Amino acid sequence: MRRGWLFVTTLERPSTDLVDRVVERLRGVLRPDQILTSKTDRYNRARVPAPFPVHRWRERVPDLAVLPETTEEVAAVVSIANELRCPVVPRDGGTGLTDGAVPLHGGIVVDVKRMNRIHELDLENRTVTVGTGINMLKLNEQLAKHGLIYPDDPASYPCSLVGGRIGTSGWSLIGSRYGHTRDLVLSFDFVLPTGEILHVGDGAGGKISKSSSGYQLKHLFMGHQGTLGIATKATLKLYPKPEAELSPFWAFDDYDAAYRFTGALARAGVATFAGAVLFDEYKVAYLRRDDEAYIPQPADVRALTCAVLYGWEDEVRVGGKRLFRIAKEHGARYLGDEISEGDWAARHDRYATPLHGRTKAGQVVPMSWHCEDAAVNYTDVPAVTKAWHEIVADLRRKTDVFDDWGMFAYTSADTGVDYLTEIDVGIWEQRLDDAAWAMWVKAKRDIAAAALAHGGSISACHGSCREGEVDLVPRELGRGFDVMLGVKRMLDPNNIMNPGKYLLDLAYQGDVSAQLAELRGPS
Amino acid sequence: MSYRYSAENTPPTPERASEVAITTHEHVYEVDPRLMELHVLQQTFPNWDTLRIMHARHDHLAWMHTHFAEKTVTGSELIAEIEDSR
Amino acid sequence: MTQTEPDMRPDALQKPFTPGAPSNDPELESYPETVSGPVPLELTDRRTAEFVEEWRNASYNCYSSGHKFCREVCPVMQVTRNESWTPTAFHANVVAMEKGELEIADIAEDYVNCTQCGACELRCPNTLFTGDFYKFRTRTVDVVKAVRALAVESGVHQPNWQTWNERTNDRTHEPVLGETEISQENVRNWAEGLDIPIGGDTVLFVDCEAAFYRTAVPRAVAQILQKAGYEFGLMGEQWCCGGPAAEMGYVDQAKRFARHNLDNWRSTGTKRLLVLDPHDYISFTEDYPKYFGAEFDIEVVLVVEVLADLLAQGKLTPTVPVDRTITYHDPCRLNKRKGIWEEPRQILRAIPGLTFHDVDRVTQWSYCSGGGGGLPVEKPELTAAISEKRLGHAAELGVDTLVSACPWSERPLSEAGDAKDIDVIDIHELFAESLGITVGGSRGTVGDKRCGGGGCGGGGCS
Repeated sequence: MRRGWLFVTTLERPSTDLVDRVVERLRGVLRPDQILTSKTDRYNRARVPAPFPVHRWRERVPDLAVLPETTEEVAAVVSIANELRCPVVPRDGGTGLTDGAVPLHGGIVVDVKRMNRIHELDLENRTVTVGTGINMLKLNEQLAKHGLIYPDDPASYPCSLVGGRIGTSGWSLIGSRYGHTRDLVLSFDFVLPTGEILHVGDGAGGKISKSSSGYQLKHLFMGHQGTLGIATKATLKLYPKPEAELSPFWAFDDYDAAYRFTGALARAGVATFAGAVLFDEYKVAYLRRDDEAYIPQPADVRALTCAVLYGWEDEVRVGGKRLFRIAKEHGARYLGDEISEGDWAARHDRYATPLHGRTKAGQVVPMSWHCEDAAVNYTDVPAVTKAWHEIVADLRRKTDVFDDWGMFAYTSADTGVDYLTEIDVGIWEQRLDDAAWAMWVKAKRDIAAAALAHGGSISACHGSCREGEVDLVPRELGRGFDVMLGVKRMLDPNNIMNPGKYLLDLAYQGDVSAQLAELRGPS
Repeated sequence: MSYRYSAENTPPTPERASEVAITTHEHVYEVDPRLMELHVLQQTFPNWDTLRIMHARHDHLAWMHTHFAEKTVTGSELIAEIEDSR
Repeated sequence: MTQTEPDMRPDALQKPFTPGAPSNDPELESYPETVSGPVPLELTDRRTAEFVEEWRNASYNCYSSGHKFCREVCPVMQVTRNESWTPTAFHANVVAMEKGELEIADIAEDYVNCTQCGACELRCPNTLFTGDFYKFRTRTVDVVKAVRALAVESGVHQPNWQTWNERTNDRTHEPVLGETEISQENVRNWAEGLDIPIGGDTVLFVDCEAAFYRTAVPRAVAQILQKAGYEFGLMGEQWCCGGPAAEMGYVDQAKRFARHNLDNWRSTGTKRLLVLDPHDYISFTEDYPKYFGAEFDIEVVLVVEVLADLLAQGKLTPTVPVDRTITYHDPCRLNKRKGIWEEPRQILRAIPGLTFHDVDRVTQWSYCSGGGGGLPVEKPELTAAISEKRLGHAAELGVDTLVSACPWSERPLSEAGDAKDIDVIDIHELFAESLGITVGGSRGTVGDKRCGGGGCGGGGCS
């Protein structure tokens, strides 16, 4: 049995003495109100929305938190931490689902929420430069005055922050039209684990969208889950705020028909196409629990597809008509304007709510929502869907702690090549004990393994550094994981930057080829 | 437009909407109360609060549309245009 | 093809179903439960144990979802950017108390940082998307009040709140700052010369801030009602509604004040309460029903709704043009906590001469004056910062006047407006002016910069 997490070294938490020395030094670079040491300050920076064993909350509590306001202040904090060998955990919105912002070894949480200024709006070149503590919805309220939009649209759109989007290399609901975070962020200032400041991005001015000069470092400093440092200021690409939106929803008798139709929409090559979403039969049965749009639907509504188009009204109309002609060919049943518009508008902030949870017998229970995601090619979506539901059904055979909330498949690109495939799992945290947690960790590993077995990636969206899934990262990345270890060791010589994540502690243990071979399993 | 204790705490007579849901006020669905008898109990919910939430939801969804685009094109318009052009 | 799981002994979990449907496979109820769950902790402090028992599920519903959509609408969070003072933290702390990780003394001070505006609980998907469906919504305001009450019961006081409530107790009214001495004798001074009877079927309840400081507001209200021929009286012996004490955790005092007021209405045969202040409106439609249940059979009516109705019926017709460029500040307790936003706009749109740059009510979920929930008593610097932010939004519209409908917001907003040369006026004052009424009374020690003609009150007007 492979138990990858056993290879992770357990770093000691900083001693009280070390914490005192760190606080003393921080007082030299920050105001008192920027250094937070009370219990509530620390307990409230210990978790993200993903379910976790609440009885083990204490293990994840940092020793202190700081609220820097400039890149220089972040650099000063990190320098001190590096010098004194104290762990640093970057925290932006704290809305991620793979524990990037969760301290595993105590230390200093660097909370960037005060860095939320708009530094420069360049209307001619269509860019905005912002502090990474700014939220996209709040930014877009400002940009709308100029007829512009920053179209990075995750499910956490009203609360996640630009810096977290960089740290996780986020996925956007309308990315098939506008690209995802990696495409939308042109450049950023970045504090390395040694406290040095690096400007990441092409060209000296920071507003270049395509260069071929030197190594392309931008991707390296995105999606690292805070293990390589802290983004502090970013320059973003802006688009005209769309004149028109079209968001039709269609119903089908069964999954296969909806699946074929979704593929046809994504392959149609409509320029204003911003995304399509496939709702499987489990998802529709789930929506019938409490969603006003689906409670009254006839029984033969078993699977759904929705699409969304953004752009000028004339081009949206032309593109929309093409999609409706495809719908006719596929026998898709249009669900009407009211459901289409209402349901789409709710997708920008569609976090699950706890009372979706049910026991198998139907009683309402408060459940935490966990979304397991993968990137899967179109042709593999049905097989992964089947495998994942079976994994969750097996959990439900054992306990009511877990609930199957159905699956979505979202287009990631404008050609329909790959899909963000997600299964939403309700977890009754109030009943989650060590045994149930172990069941869940195993299920996560099985879910990730199913994605890899079908040629996919463990995650399109969240990252893959949580217990369970993380064991499979060396298998997915192959030799690339060794490169990750080398990069980590070079940039963070003392392993202070978000230690314990992504199995990167292996970078400090000499020859780990035997461990990696075991993690990767038989080829 | 006025508050009276007795009126606020007398909800409309429910009608069955599905095997697991009922309707009460116009445009409001509610969980079949037999599903909230064990682990989570329903709160005291005066009528004004139910209606406030329902209206706020509709306002919020309309707001989200205009946040992302100036206007919405409806599917029914496009279907009509396709039919007309045949 | 319908989705089913492959290669398994067929069972009820191999196909999609909606739990709780009577037509489901009965096998679904027969799977054995193999998880025993964590052993619950026994809390030694009785008060804390009772508190946790009452609020654990309400708080857990926030904690387990962790959406944090409240964060960017929270007025305190917007000016402090400190996650320890967010609605999610206020719920998470309760879960931590249940787990024995935190005690009331650890958390009490954090709960000062809340205006009880209600934005967080409305914006929460647990309210906005499913609150009405389950009859179970996020209750951050109630949790904040309950924590403050637990603190007071446990002897953990915030010094300024303690003094404030002692003085309120002594004077039967809040010790609002101003020129009028706060006492029972002076509570009806604002109505001097208006010839309003005492008692009767309908009484007008005037909050402490309006009765003692911004007296132009109740004077405007009374004279508009008189002009429309709407009969009303004043309370025999009005005490503070008790709402602020309840908001700061002094629950016994709040209930005592509420009892007095209810008894007093009974003694004058009063059946209907006219309320001009949104904070009072919350006390009478939320706190009093909780205290008294069905015994509370008084009808509660909000003045701004009455005025919109009188306007629609043609009983009031504003004719005096008011040359101002305005925007409207949705008072939190009307817009967010009660869903009342249309009527004030109907009134403003009827006033001739106004240029009205409106900001929609959903955008205003994230606006606040910072004047509620006891925040200005304990942390005036945060109230000032929140008001300054609100006036910043107004300034972007190029207006000269911000119209509010809440006396408690008008003092901090006026102070912030001074710095931006924006006047802050109450909607009732403005409406009265357009109805040709000479209001009189005081608009407080700041503001009054643009009042002219017949509508100007006294006070600091120069």
